[in-house]
Amino acid sequence: MRRYIKQAVTVAFITGLSWQPAAGLDFKGALKDAVNSQLGNGRKAEAAPPSTTPQNTGTAQDKLANINWKNPSQEEEIAVGRNVTGTILGAAPLVNDAQLQRYVNKVGRWVASQSERAELPWRFGVIESTDVNAFAAPGGYILITKGLYQRLTSEAQLAGVLGHEIAHVVQKHHLKVMQKQALLDAGSAFLKEKISKNTLTQRAVSTGAEISARNLDKSAEFEADSMGTVLAARAGYEAYGLAEVLQDMETISNQDSSMALLFKTHPHPDDRVAQLSVVSGDQIDNISGGKTLENRLYQLK
Amino acid sequence: MIKKTLFCLLALLASTQSSAAETGLVLKPDQLRADTFNDAKVVGSVNKNDSVEILNKKGAWLEIKSAGKSGWVRLLTVKRNNAGSTDVAGVVGVATGRSGTGKVVSTTGIRGLSAEDLKTAQFNETETKKLESYTTNADEAKQFASSGGLTSRQYPYFTGAAQ
Repeated sequence: MRRYIKQAVTVAFITGLSWQPAAGLDFKGALKDAVNSQLGNGRKAEAAPPSTTPQNTGTAQDKLANINWKNPSQEEEIAVGRNVTGTILGAAPLVNDAQLQRYVNKVGRWVASQSERAELPWRFGVIESTDVNAFAAPGGYILITKGLYQRLTSEAQLAGVLGHEIAHVVQKHHLKVMQKQALLDAGSAFLKEKISKNTLTQRAVSTGAEISARNLDKSAEFEADSMGTVLAARAGYEAYGLAEVLQDMETISNQDSSMALLFKTHPHPDDRVAQLSVVSGDQIDNISGGKTLENRLYQLK
Repeated sequence: MIKKTLFCLLALLASTQSSAAETGLVLKPDQLRADTFNDAKVVGSVNKNDSVEILNKKGAWLEIKSAGKSGWVRLLTVKRNNAGSTDVAGVVGVATGRSGTGKVVSTTGIRGLSAEDLKTAQFNETETKKLESYTTNADEAKQFASSGGLTSRQYPYFTGAAQ
């Protein structure tokens, strides 16, 4: 079983690199038809898979295995996000400080309550990593590294960072990337008649951890900066929290290893500041009276 | 002898760094203000693409000097030149008192997170359950917000066109 998952991860990674050229090919609708027949009618395609499919046990796995990638329900979205988040936690566990974790959940939940998806069971966590980074996974799972948390100087800055990640979830940025991958995999696999829907899900989900740190285009990041700034302002915070964090990131050397993954996966903070400046225009000047709450920012032990 | 030379070299380096003025580019037209609040007295203005000197930082405000006049603007008015391209944190980094903290990796047993780490990571059910155990509901969060003097406000998302 473990060996199978490893294989799936490897296959998924390779697929991840190669699906874009494949998407460019014109199958004259064959790909679309294949996707529709595999996934469009829900569970129908389950009859076809060969017996090499590993049998998953447990409801969480069953839920994942039967995801309707064409139009996932909220419950399915949460199941995917949980799996992605658990995988990131497998690489970097939570900081062992319950007070810190509860504090970050309160700030994050309050900012998320200002969004269009306030009803999601939002979950936030600080993970043990010296890297400067934060992650969002479908369904409202958000992680921030200790390395980033330690650079913050106010609750408004924390709200801004979480606001950025909340915006990714609201806009389903990562979910859309995973859906695209699953459906394209489904299409090409159907042509080869070799792969089960269960395997497709394994592939899409196992690359999810990586996708949560990669694969979003620049416009999605800029959009998250813009929306995140407004969400924090709606929550009553000073509107410049995220901008301050981005400016702080500008002062870290490009060569600093703690920024390696962030720089690989996001536009440079310099470009993000410039873009946020333009998009916020003079609308940001209308936001006033926000709080920074420096003193309430929970200090790490 | 070597020590002395090294010391002189370091001293020279330090003085070069602190005296080097930080410059920036104006991203959007704005007014220069005498102090760090929205209704502080206007002492001048800057236009898009003006080159400015960055003198100081206080919260989300930058003190800049442009065409002989100095004053305060909001953080997003100015883009810092050459940010991140050197090891020098510059005025902004120094002003926050956290210059170079990102480079301190003194904690043993804790490491960075690479794309490779994420690729090979295995799902951890225990940590996931722990994460979920800290979840706060909307009412608790609202109470927490109130205790900090935070109130919900209605603002539309920004509509400025991206470049």
